[in-house]
Amino acid sequence: MSEAGEKKRAGAGPDGPVLEAVGLSRSFGPIEVLSDVSVSVRAGEVHAIIGENGAGKSTLMKILAGHLAPTRGAIKLDGSPVELKGPVDAERRGVVLVHQEIMLAPDLSIAENMFLGRELRRGLTVDDREMNRRATEAMRVFGVEAAVTAPVQRLSIAQRQLAQIARALAVPHRIAIFDEPTASLTPVETSALLGLIRELKAKGVAVLYISHRLEEVKAVADVVTVLRDGKQVATKPAAELEPVDMARLMVGRDLLALYPPRPPAPAGEPAFEVGRFGAAGFAEDASFSVRPGEILGFAGLVGAGRTELFEALFGLRKGGGDIRLNGAEQQWRDARAGMRAGAVYLTEDRKSKGLLLEETIAVNLTLASLDKFQRGPLIDRAREARALDEAIQRFDIRVGDRTLLAGQMSGGNQQKLLLAKMMQLDPRVVVIDEPTRGIDIGAKQQIYRFIAALAAEGRSVIVISSEMAELIGICHRIIVMRNGRVVGEVAGEEMNEHAIVVLATGVSTNGEDVRT
Amino acid sequence: MTQAVGEAPAAAPRRRMSVSAVAPFLALALICALGALANPRFLSFDNLTNVLARSTFIATIAVGQTLVITGGGLDLSVGAMAAFISGLTILFLNSGLIDNMPLLIVSAMVLALAVGALCGLFNGLTTTIGKIEPFIVTLGTMGIFRSLLTWLAQGGSITIRNTDVRAAYRQVYFGDLFGVPYPVLLILGVAVAGAFILYATAYGRHVRAVGSNEDVARYSGISVARVRTITYVLQGLCVALAVIVYVPRLSSASAATGLGWELTAITAVVVGGTRLKGGVGHIWGTIAGALILEVIGNIMLLSNLVSEYLIGAVQGAIIIIAMLAQRGMSASR
Amino acid sequence: MKRILVSLAVFGLMVGAAQAQVSKTMAVSVPTADHGWTGGVVFHAMEEAKALEKKYPGLKVIVKTSPDPAAQADALEDLSTQGIDALVVLPHDPNVLTDPIRKVKNKGTFVTVVDRIADDRSIYDLYVGGDNPGLGASAAQFFKKALPNGGDIVVIRGLPIPIDKMRVDAFNDGIKGAKINVIDSQFGNWSRDDAFKVMQDFLTKHPKIDAVWCQDDDMAIGVFEAIAQAKRTDIKFVVAGAGAKDAVKRVMDGDPMMPVDVLYSPSMVAVAMDVTALGLEEGIPVRGDYILKATLITKDNAKDFYFKDSPF
Repeated sequence: MSEAGEKKRAGAGPDGPVLEAVGLSRSFGPIEVLSDVSVSVRAGEVHAIIGENGAGKSTLMKILAGHLAPTRGAIKLDGSPVELKGPVDAERRGVVLVHQEIMLAPDLSIAENMFLGRELRRGLTVDDREMNRRATEAMRVFGVEAAVTAPVQRLSIAQRQLAQIARALAVPHRIAIFDEPTASLTPVETSALLGLIRELKAKGVAVLYISHRLEEVKAVADVVTVLRDGKQVATKPAAELEPVDMARLMVGRDLLALYPPRPPAPAGEPAFEVGRFGAAGFAEDASFSVRPGEILGFAGLVGAGRTELFEALFGLRKGGGDIRLNGAEQQWRDARAGMRAGAVYLTEDRKSKGLLLEETIAVNLTLASLDKFQRGPLIDRAREARALDEAIQRFDIRVGDRTLLAGQMSGGNQQKLLLAKMMQLDPRVVVIDEPTRGIDIGAKQQIYRFIAALAAEGRSVIVISSEMAELIGICHRIIVMRNGRVVGEVAGEEMNEHAIVVLATGVSTNGEDVRT
Repeated sequence: MTQAVGEAPAAAPRRRMSVSAVAPFLALALICALGALANPRFLSFDNLTNVLARSTFIATIAVGQTLVITGGGLDLSVGAMAAFISGLTILFLNSGLIDNMPLLIVSAMVLALAVGALCGLFNGLTTTIGKIEPFIVTLGTMGIFRSLLTWLAQGGSITIRNTDVRAAYRQVYFGDLFGVPYPVLLILGVAVAGAFILYATAYGRHVRAVGSNEDVARYSGISVARVRTITYVLQGLCVALAVIVYVPRLSSASAATGLGWELTAITAVVVGGTRLKGGVGHIWGTIAGALILEVIGNIMLLSNLVSEYLIGAVQGAIIIIAMLAQRGMSASR
Repeated sequence: MKRILVSLAVFGLMVGAAQAQVSKTMAVSVPTADHGWTGGVVFHAMEEAKALEKKYPGLKVIVKTSPDPAAQADALEDLSTQGIDALVVLPHDPNVLTDPIRKVKNKGTFVTVVDRIADDRSIYDLYVGGDNPGLGASAAQFFKKALPNGGDIVVIRGLPIPIDKMRVDAFNDGIKGAKINVIDSQFGNWSRDDAFKVMQDFLTKHPKIDAVWCQDDDMAIGVFEAIAQAKRTDIKFVVAGAGAKDAVKRVMDGDPMMPVDVLYSPSMVAVAMDVTALGLEEGIPVRGDYILKATLITKDNAKDFYFKDSPF
C-alpha cells in the first residue's frame, strides 16, 4: 500500500508529539496481532484510529495505556522513551484510557464508582457529599440528570458508558484515549461527547480516538490512522479522507451499499398488535402494530424506555397491557411464553443477557430451542451439529474452530450467533434490540441483509436502535419514544434524522453534529 | 461486571477445561501411589472396598451437590437432612406396620426417598420462589432437620430394635454382587445417572446455563426457578440414597449422624473441579474428590508417618496442595 | 448406682425433717443433646427436675440447654437475672465459663459444677463428677486380668480434650508392667461413624489384635460392626465405657465380646441436682467434691445399672 509510506515521523520539540509509539508489535503465542505500528499525537490534537474488529485497535490502545507490554517497539512521552509498568503507572504519567467494555462495580453508585480507589476523604471518613457533587457535575456535562447515588446496575448501558467516561476523565491527564466511546450512545449523547472532546482539545489535551463510526471520526479527528489485520495501512490528515475512503481502507476493498434494497412495504392486516402497554417505571401507554413482512423501527434517546417496554412485553420485567398475535390475545409471563406463541426478543446486552460466554457455539445456538433437539431424554448431538452447520452457513458465522467459546468470538459473530439462536425457534415476530452495537462495518452490512431477509420471508421485524441512520436505512416505519411514551411515527419521505431528533428530544435542534 | 475480552485469539480455555477434568483423577492416582508406598496393605482388595464403601455417603451426596452448585445454588442442609431421614427410616422399621420383612425394608427405602425429595423441594422452593439466598435457607433447614432428629431421638439415638430386620437390612451395606459391595455399585449408579442428567439431557444443559448466567437463561425462555428447584429435589434424593446404605451399617442414628457431611461434600465437589459459583460441573471429578478425601484419611491411619494429633493438619495440607497442583497444571497448559 | 446410694443415705437423714415452705428456685444449665452422652444428661436432668418438684412443693427447677459455650454464658446471665437460689451447671468448656459462673456465685447463689472441672476451684460450692482417671484405670485393671499373658491391643480415643487425656494417661499407667502393647491409637471423636472407620483401618493394618479399648459405648457400636464385617476372630473382647443402656444389656446377657463396661453415667447430673436440693431445702451442709466411682459393670452387677426407659 502506498499510504503506508506516509507515516508521520515528527521529532521531539516544543511542538513535537506528547505521545509517540514507534514500531509497536504484540504477539499472543505464535500469532502477531499488531505488527510495526507507529503513531504519534500532539497536544491539542485528536488522532483517530480506525479499523475493523480484530484489526488490532484495542491491543494498540491497551499497550499505550500500560495494560499490555509490547513485544517489540517503544513508547515515548515528550520525546523520551518510557516503560509503562501498568495502568496505574500510565495514569500517573497523565495517560488515561476510557475502556470499551464497561468496567464498573454494578452494586456501587455512579459517584462511588467514579472515585473508586481514589476516594476523597475528610478526616477518617470519605467525603460523600463532595464526591456526589462532583459526580453530578461530571454527568451533567453529558446531559445526564441521573441520581449519582443510584447503583450503576439501574442505569442503561449508555448511561453506564457515560459514567465510565466521566470516571476516566476525573484523573488529571494530558493524554486521553477513547476506545469506542460512542458504541452504545444515541446521537444526542454522542454530540455531547464530541463537544467534550473538542473542549479537551482546546485545553491542550492529546486525544486518541477509536471508533467504528466514520462520520464521527470525520467530524472530530485531525489525523486518522487506519489499521487492518494488525498492520498500519494509512495515516493521513482527516481533511484528506472522506468516510467512504476510510471504509475502503479498513475493509481493503470497495464496500457495496451498506443497506440492502428495502423490500416493498407490505399492506394487509397487522400480525402483532400492542395496545396501551406499560413497563412499571419506564414506559406507559404504548400502542403500535406491525404487519407481516414489515420492518418497524423504534428510535429514542437513552432512557426513553424502548428496551424496558419490550422486556416487559416479553415478561422479562414487570408491566402490562394488551398483546395480540394474529388476532389472538396474549399474555406472556416469561420469555418462554412469547417463544411458544412465535415471538422472540433479542437483547441489546449480548454479553450478559444474550449468550453464555463460557459455552461453545453449539450450546448457545440451541439453548432456547433444546426441546427440538431431543431424542427421548437425550440431546440429539447429530441434529445439533447439523443445525450448527446450517447456522454457520446461513448467518456467515466466521469461526475456524467450532469448539470456540462464545466469549472468544468477535462482536459481529456474537450478534450473528444470537440471531441464529433465536431463529432456531422459527418465530413470526422478531424484536432485535441494538442489532449492530459494537460490531464492525462488514458485519453490520450482513446483519442488515439478514433483517431484510427475515422480513422478505413474511416475518414481522421490530428493530430498536440508537443509530438513526440504520433505522432510516432499513425500516419501513419508525416509532419514536420519549420519556417512556410513544410520541410519534415517521415513514416514507418524513424518515430523516432531523424529524426523529425533534420527536425524540421534544425540541427543535440547532442541528449541531446531527448530520442529515 | 463485564470483563474485557482481549483480541487475542485464545484457544487455551478449551484445553484448560479438559485438564481440570482430568486433574482430580491424577491427584487420586498420585495419592494412591503414595498410599501403596506407605503400607502395601493399602492396595489389598479388602482395604480398597472398605474405603470405597465408606466414601459412598459423601460421594452420593456430593453428586447431588454438584448439580445444585452447577445450577448456581448451595445446600448446607445435607448432613442434617441425612440424620433426619435416617431417624424417620429407622422409626418406620421399628413401627412394625408391615409384617413382610422384605416389603418392610423396601417400603422404608421408598419412604426415605420420598422424604428426601420433599426436604429438597422445600429447600428449592424457599430459595427460588421465596428468593432467599440458598446459603441462608439451607443453613436454616440444617438447624431444623437436626433438631427434628434430636427430638425424634429424645436426645439419644434411634436404633433398629428388631434383630431380624437388622440382620436382613445389614446386607445392603455389607453385602456384595460378584464381590463388588452394594455401596460401590450405588456410587457407580448415582454417578452414571448424575453424568447422564448433567451432560446428556436438555435439563442438564439448562442447569449449566442457569448457573453460568441466570439472565441469559431467562432471556432464552428457561424457567430459572423450575430448573433450580429440581436440582434441590435431586440433591434430596441423593441424600436419601446415602441414607439407605448408611442406616444398615450401624443400624442407628443419633444427633451425631451426618455431622459435617455438608462441608465434606462441598469440598469433594470443589476438589473435583466444579466451580463454586456455578456453570461448570464435573460429576466424575466429584467422585474422585470424594475418594481423595476418604483415601487420605485411610492412608494417614495405615501409615505410621504422622502423629495422631496432626492428622487433621496433614489432610488439610494435602487438599490445598492438590488444588494448587490442579491450578498449576491448568495455568501451564 | 451411686445416685441411688446417695439418695438412700439422704432419705435416712431426711426422715422427720420438716418440709421447707419458702419457695426456692434451682436452675440447671447443661449442653444441648449433641451426642448420646449429653442426650442422657438432658434426659436425666429433666426427669430429676420433675422428681424434685414433686418431692419439694416449694421448689422450682428450671432446665436450660445451650448449644455452645457462648450461648451457655448468655443462658447463665439470663438465669441469674431471673433470681435463683442455686445453679447446677455442666459447662461446655469449664475454663471458658469460669467468669460467668463466678458472677453467679458472687451474687450469693449456691453453685454446683458437674463433670467438667475448671482450674479455678473457687467458683463452686459443690462439685459432682465422674472419675475420669478412674475410667482409664478400671479398664486397665480389667485388661491386665483378662490378658494375663499380655497381648496386642488398639485404643480408640475420644476428642482431644483434657478428660480424654486423663483417661488415656491413667489407662497407660494402669497397664504398665503387664506385657500389653498398645500397637495403635487414634481419635474416634466419640462418634460411632468415625470409630467404625478407624477400626476398619486398624483391622487392615494389623493382622492380629487381641483386644480393643474404645472408652465409649457409642464408639463400641462402630467397632463391633467393623469387626463383624472383617469376619475377624482374633479379637477377644472390646472394653468401652459410660454405661449406656445397650452396652449394659450386652454385659448383662453375657456377651463374650463385651464382658464388662466402665460406668461414667450421664445421671451424675441428677445426683448433683439431688444433693444441691438437699442443701437448699434441708439446710444440710453439702459443700465439697463428690467423685462418682468409675465402677466396673460386670455380668453380676449389670442389672443394677440397667435403666429401660433411658434414651442413653
